[in-house]
Order: sequence, then C-alpha cells, then structure tokens
Amino acid sequence: MTAFAAYTIIGLSLGGIFSLAALGIVLIYRTTGVVNFAHGAMGMFSTFVAWQVFYGISHPFWPAWLATAVAVVAGLLFAAALGLFLDTAVFRWVRSREPVVKAVITIGVLLALQSMASLIWKNNQYHLPIYIAPQTWTFMLAGVPVGANSLLIIGVSIGLAFGLAAFLRHTAFGRSMRAVSDSPASASLWGVPVGRVGAVSWMLGSLIAALAGILITPFINFDTTSLTLLIVDALAAALIGGMVSLPLTVLGGFALGLLETYPTIWVQSLGFPRLVALVVIIAVLIVRNPRALAVSSR
Amino acid sequence: MTWRAGGRAAIALVAFAVLARLPAGLDVGFQFDAALAVIWGFALLSLVLLTGYVGQISLCQATFSGVAGYAAGMLVSTFHMDYLAAVGLAMLASFALGVAVGLPALRLRGITLAIVTLGIALVFDKYVFQDHAFEWLTGGSGGWRVGSASVFGVQVDSSKHLMAAYTILLALFCLVALLMVNLHESGAGRRFRAIRDSEVAAATMGVDLTRYKLLAFGLSAGVAGLGGAFYPLVAGSVSPQPFWLFTSLQLAAIAVLMGVRYVPAAALGGVFMAFVPDVLTRFGHGTLFGRIQYDISYDWFQVAVGVLLIAQLILLPDGVWGDVRTRAARLRASIRKQSRAPQVKVA
Repeated sequence: MTAFAAYTIIGLSLGGIFSLAALGIVLIYRTTGVVNFAHGAMGMFSTFVAWQVFYGISHPFWPAWLATAVAVVAGLLFAAALGLFLDTAVFRWVRSREPVVKAVITIGVLLALQSMASLIWKNNQYHLPIYIAPQTWTFMLAGVPVGANSLLIIGVSIGLAFGLAAFLRHTAFGRSMRAVSDSPASASLWGVPVGRVGAVSWMLGSLIAALAGILITPFINFDTTSLTLLIVDALAAALIGGMVSLPLTVLGGFALGLLETYPTIWVQSLGFPRLVALVVIIAVLIVRNPRALAVSSR
Repeated sequence: MTWRAGGRAAIALVAFAVLARLPAGLDVGFQFDAALAVIWGFALLSLVLLTGYVGQISLCQATFSGVAGYAAGMLVSTFHMDYLAAVGLAMLASFALGVAVGLPALRLRGITLAIVTLGIALVFDKYVFQDHAFEWLTGGSGGWRVGSASVFGVQVDSSKHLMAAYTILLALFCLVALLMVNLHESGAGRRFRAIRDSEVAAATMGVDLTRYKLLAFGLSAGVAGLGGAFYPLVAGSVSPQPFWLFTSLQLAAIAVLMGVRYVPAAALGGVFMAFVPDVLTRFGHGTLFGRIQYDISYDWFQVAVGVLLIAQLILLPDGVWGDVRTRAARLRASIRKQSRAPQVKVA
C-alpha cells in the first residue's frame, strides 16, 4: 500500500508537469490558432538558460536560495523574450494561414531549438537538476515521504490553472484574449488589438513552458531531448481537454501522469507505460473526437 | 501505353542511367551517403503519397522504415532467409503496421492525427526499438549484423559492393517513383485526391473512405519500408538511432520543405538529408582567414532544416520543387508571349 501511495505521488508530480505544459499549449492555441509542437523545446531551452545561470553564479558565498531565485527569474525572462521573438519573427506572418501550416512551422521551431541547445549544452551530457525547494525538505503523507519539489509542482499546476481561468474571466486583457479566441475578425472589429493579444499569449505560454521545464528537472533525465519530448504528453493532455477547456486539460494531465507511473509498479520498462498511455489517449480521442480541431474557426 | 506515360517511363530510365554511375568515382563514405539518400528518398516518397496525395499527416514515417529494417535484419540473421524474400516480408510487415496506424486515422484528422502519429513514433522509439521485450525483433543492443547478400544474383555488401546496393536501390526507386506519378492520375489516385480536398465530398461521391484511407496508410508505410528494409544491407547493421523520433520529424520537415506534392522533390530531399550532414561534418571544420576556428557538427544540419522549413512555409508555400515548377511555367509562358507579342501589335 505504501508503494502504491509512493507511486501515486510520483504520478501526480509527473501529471502536474504535463498539465502545466498543456496549459501553455491551450493558451497559445486558443488565442493564435497555433498547435505548438515546439512547446517542449521552448521550455527546454529556457530551462537550460536557467541552469546555465544557476551553475554559473552558484558559489559558496551566496546563499543557495538566492542563486536559485536569480536563475529562475533569468530563465523566465528569457522565456518571455523567446515567446515575443517567435511571435514577431515567425507567427505574426502566418496568421491567416491554415492551422496545419502553422503546426508544421512549429515543428521547424522544435528542430531548430533542440539542435541549437545540443550545440550549446552538448547532447549526451548529464546535467545536474535545479532544486527550487531544497532536496532535504520532505513531508510524511499517508506513510510515504513526499518531497517539497513534488508538492510544489502539484500546487503550481493547480494554482496556475485557477489563476489562468480567473485571469481570462475577470480581467480586461483576459476578456480580449477570449474574444480573439472566439473570433479574431470580430474581436478586431470591436477594437481588440489582435496582434498584441497574440504576442502576450506567446510570451505567457513560453513562460509557463519554462516553469514546467524548471520544475521537472529533479524528476527526469535532464537533457535536451527528454524535455523536448515532453510535448507528446503535453499535447495529449491538451487534446483530452479538447484544446479549449482548462479544467479538463489539467485533469487530463494528472490522469496521464498516473497512467504512465502505475504500470512501472509491475513492469520494469521505460517504454511500456508510454504504450499504455498511447492506447488510452487514442481510445479517448476516438470516443470524444475533438471537433474543436477539425472545424476550427481559423 | 499513352504518350505521356511513355514519356514518363523514358524520363525515369534516363534519370536512372544518369544517377546510377554518378557516385562511382566517390569514396566509400559518399557511396554510403548515395545509398542512404535513396533509402530516405523512399521515406520521403511515402510522405508524398500520404500527405501530398491523400492529405493525411504522419509524424512516424521513420518508424515504418525502422520496423522494416529490423524485420529484414531479423529474417536474414535468424532464419537465414534470402535477402529479397526478407525485403518482401519486411514490406508486408510495415504495410500491416501502416494499416494499423491508419485505423485511428479513420476517426481523427489533421493535427489530432499528427499528434497521435507522433505518440506512435515515440512508443516505437522508446519501447519497441530499445526494450528487452522486443529483442527478438531488434537483436538486442548490438542489433543485427548483415554481412553480405545476393540480390537479383548480384553480390551486395556494405563495403566492397556498396555501388551494387546503390544501383539496385536506385532502380527500385525510379520504378516506385514512376508508379507513384502514374498513381496520381489513376482511379485510386483520383479517389485519394478527393479525400485530400474534402472527405465529406469524397464520401458523397461514393468513395469508400475506410478502404482508401487504410490503403493509403498501408501503401505509404510499405514504400517507406521498402527503403528501410535495405538499411541493414547498406549499413551492415541496424540500430535504433537512425529511426528515432527526430528522424521522423526531420522527414516530415524535409518533405514539406522540398514540396510534399511532388515526386521528384522526394529524390531531392533524400539527397539533401543524406549528403548535407556528411559534407558538413567532413569539411565543416578548419580555420577562417587563419584566425577564426569553426567546427560545424551534425546539429547544424538540424538547425538549418528547422530554419529553412520556417522560411519556406512563410515565403514559398509550395516547397522548393513547387516553386521551381511555378517559375519554370511562368518563364515558358512569358517566352511564348514575347514570341507572339509583335503579331498582336500589328493586328
């Protein structure tokens, strides 16, 4: 029973990351119509920037929390800049094109970012993770020790989902984002700055991706490919939410995290849980058949 | 045989005759690249069929090649089968896998399908190609070693008789490319294009969506598998690395970059994909002006693919080959107009 509880905690941490990454994808898709395959790669690149800053400045004279804070802020700032750059340099020019074309462009972004990162930080090197909360902080929950970093992920993903929902519902800018997501043409007729809304969504989405990347480093092999490949699970979680619903996306992310963790109790294999997850996702998609993507307004 | 079909056959024959002798003077490394170019050419051709003709997106074409490669390696190494028979069975295996992948495609389309095929590529990359449970197929971490084989009575191996492998692959490629061009105009090709333009309209016109979508996925996987099945013979062994997820993504990117609707673009893309990384790693290091040291590795190739793809989709939506075609047509039209222009003026 304790083993089961321990695996549940791992699964929920993993699920929290999937949810976080998926939230960014849904945000960008709703306001710009781009299904972002490069989301994992963007998070990966920003995470490596944070890592570089952390191991560049970490020094016995500084308290560790200060170095961590500076590194995380640097990573998030870089992420926002990256989002803004991608919007102005690439996606602004293809706004009226078909969704499929925009998605294929993000595959180009993925390839470019992933190989640039492996040029800078080398491909097969094992990188030390960034611990936001000290590794020694653990709590006992249901008879198993739970790391503070796990709780942080779960808390941040749920908090961010509620925060994002509140932002979209109750602020003026959030309302204009929802207007653009419903219909860019009528939103612009009402005076909503569609271009600026798109740019802000890219920055926000990129920021969330970086947050997910930084938070997950203690839990996975931290290299350029594994973070890039998070995109598969994140997109799957976003698809479970039909690419629109924030609560369903978060639920989907957590379900996926558990689904990819429980099989490892019985089968010692890195790939088998992925097969289980894939089969379940295909089954869910075939039953639900998200029309949101098929008959998108764009 | 109509005049057009005959002309195409003649073009394919001439292309084969010209290309077959081209790498003969090069060293073994470039001869390997030439053979590899044809193998990736098959994978890109499979995308022309699936995406260009039928409009279905797939991000797991390297998986189809890989499964056929492993199947051929296993059949030859474990059962000591004749290589050609192994290629045939490997193609059947990838055809079957293609049909299986096509099953979810009956309900899903567009980007949803792209995400599902990406998941399939990931499962094969991380699980089937690397897990102990599938050692019967993959031969474990060492992979299968294939020394030499006799194909169509020709001795082929990965070092001395590499040119023979290249020539056989090229002949098969020209044949399949010719069949693909002819398919475009055939009854099945018209049904494929109807599905691409509108599934609802195609179904209304009486096209059996289930049958033709599954057929498209199966054929496409079979074409990718035909190339992949020769990989063990050309490279001497099979390993998961050439068929991992990023190859599938690169294949999709290069297919779109070169022009996903055109058969010759697949050949162009294969050459690009096999030669450019090798040329970069071989000649991409040295010193510039006696001062600046530079070292261009394989990763630069992927950066270039990504950036070129973005630029192409913004500037030349129909791909490199499509753009060349339009320009050529425009040039021909303007020449015709110029030669006619004086008469118009007089009249």
